[in-house]
Amino acid sequence: MISRREVIKWGAAAPAFAACSHAAFASGVQGCDAFLLDQRFAAQVPQNHWGIPVMRFDGDVTGHWYQTIDPAWRQRGYVLGGITGSDALFVLETLAQQHGRRVVSRSQVGAADARGIAPVSWIIAPVHPSVVA
Amino acid sequence: MSVLPPDLDEAGFATFLEQLRGAVGADWVWSGEADMFPYRDSFSPVWNTGEERHASAAVAPADVEQVSEIVRIARRHRVPLFPISTGKNFGYGGPSPNVNGSVVLDLKRMNRVIEINEARAYALVEPGVSYFDLYREIQERGLKLMVDCPDPGWGSPIGNSLERGVGYTMPHFRDHFGAHCGMEVVLPDGEVMRTGMGALPGSDTWQEYPYGFGPDPAGLFAQGPFGVVTKMGFRLLPLPEYYRSGMISVPRRADFAKLVDHVNYLSDSGLIGEVEFGSPLSALMGDPQFLALATKTGGPSNAEMDAAAEAAGLHSWHVELQIFGPEATTLANWNYASDRILSDIPGAIAIAGDHFPLPATDDQLDNQTQPYRSSIKRRRSLGVPSLGAWKIVRDDGHVGFFPVLPRTAEAVFEMQRVLGDAMKEFPTLPPFFNALTMPLFWHTHTFQMVFAPSIKHDDPAHNAITHAAMKKCVAVAAQHGWGDYRAAPIYQDDVSDTYGFNNHILRRFHEQLKDAIDPDGIIAPGRGGVWPRRFRS
Repeated sequence: MISRREVIKWGAAAPAFAACSHAAFASGVQGCDAFLLDQRFAAQVPQNHWGIPVMRFDGDVTGHWYQTIDPAWRQRGYVLGGITGSDALFVLETLAQQHGRRVVSRSQVGAADARGIAPVSWIIAPVHPSVVA
Repeated sequence: MSVLPPDLDEAGFATFLEQLRGAVGADWVWSGEADMFPYRDSFSPVWNTGEERHASAAVAPADVEQVSEIVRIARRHRVPLFPISTGKNFGYGGPSPNVNGSVVLDLKRMNRVIEINEARAYALVEPGVSYFDLYREIQERGLKLMVDCPDPGWGSPIGNSLERGVGYTMPHFRDHFGAHCGMEVVLPDGEVMRTGMGALPGSDTWQEYPYGFGPDPAGLFAQGPFGVVTKMGFRLLPLPEYYRSGMISVPRRADFAKLVDHVNYLSDSGLIGEVEFGSPLSALMGDPQFLALATKTGGPSNAEMDAAAEAAGLHSWHVELQIFGPEATTLANWNYASDRILSDIPGAIAIAGDHFPLPATDDQLDNQTQPYRSSIKRRRSLGVPSLGAWKIVRDDGHVGFFPVLPRTAEAVFEMQRVLGDAMKEFPTLPPFFNALTMPLFWHTHTFQMVFAPSIKHDDPAHNAITHAAMKKCVAVAAQHGWGDYRAAPIYQDDVSDTYGFNNHILRRFHEQLKDAIDPDGIIAPGRGGVWPRRFRS
């Protein structure tokens, strides 16, 4: 299980991602293994920041899911943060549940568009005993 | 929201859960509110209303022996189980059950690809295997096989085929239940049964001859409440050497009749894969005057539509063809198809499209190289699972009504008119049915159309409109002989009611079977509109 302290830390971190300033972003990356950035909403974050891999996409998370996230979620650990559209987060959250993981922090960081899609910053962490680090 | 199983008090429920924990381990039984949230139907139009169906708990077995034990425990406590494979049936109920308080039997841990046979072109998998998993296994082993996957491809071959889901390659593979071959099922008493050649000890043809000997009950387990499928075989398409595409357009509205007939012939002859019908006139739907014409009560006349097309300098219809096989064969098929259609329909135009050897490159998969504007989603057409479909989902999701209709232009035009007029009662919904609504050629021998209004978690008034429109669509369609092929639990009784030949003998027959093997309704009572005696009263 993740600890309450970790949840609180990540809860504070997720809104910080949304600021997208280098300082705020740096403060948020602690404890995360990778970030997903939906370029529809957050284009300005560097490719590899403070040693944390940044995976960019444009709403369709298929490539990162197949190449990186699915293999990582078959192992223990792997905390994933991101700023994505709520549509992409729905996909990841649903997949996370199947892999013993859960959204432990989320914060809507902008208004929804005409399709009802809003930018959200979030963290998905392992919660089931079979996958916690 | 916490609920209890039917006829069980809190103490009984606690005892039941304790026995489940004893069967599968404490880590694999859930009943807390946060744990149960993912088992809600997040695409439900009755979200947060009294009509929403809630499970009481979930349990995830590791193997078929644990499934049998869970079923036996549930039978002792008379607790309904609702089996799911990976729970991705969104638009049709997701992982939510028919009966409040059911326990979700989540088969996600049973995720072994048991066998893939390249030379004989089949796979045998467990329910927790996703299309991505099967595709990955094929890729990593370098096998020359193609998966036919739905879009998105995150669900499981077993779950999707048991819902009679569809894909996008060649006709006999697109019908996912039709492409299955052999299954293993845990029955409502916990016994394990194998269908077809799987019933013959020592047989090596379980995935090659589906029937075995005597009656074949496999169909009862698709959209049915008769057992828990724990293994299933699937026929796979040998990876074609080459892919070729092309578009043919026809000028007049009435030309659609001949175009459909030709496409039917090409498909039934095995010369083409899935097609995408479309209309160049869709580009005019932003023009209020044209929109009014396309959504006119009673439908526009052919002359009115032809005049609009002529004024815009556009053809009325087009079809995108996809052809698989050796390179020379694909070229011959394209030449034959275009010659056949162009020689029969005056003014028809053929445009040769992208063509390349398989497997495709990423650029080709992303459909960036087509010489014309294409509606084809290339990944799914080539059996490559994708999550990209979520980019087109509006709001918090949608429900789905996909009526089955004959493969004729006459039926297409009639459905456009009838359902277009019926849905005018709901003016805030998009005009799903209008004079340009295209048939989907997903199943092997029928067309379908799509009605998929959105839902919003924070807008119950909008959801109520969607809900009412769904029910009206089901009813009006049935009056014209068009039935839904698949539905969420909240609509399954409505749809089942429409299949009423001879005083609903089909449903009564199913009920007789259910009463005989599962009178207490342990396995998914109500699924497919089939209720056991216990719940019918």
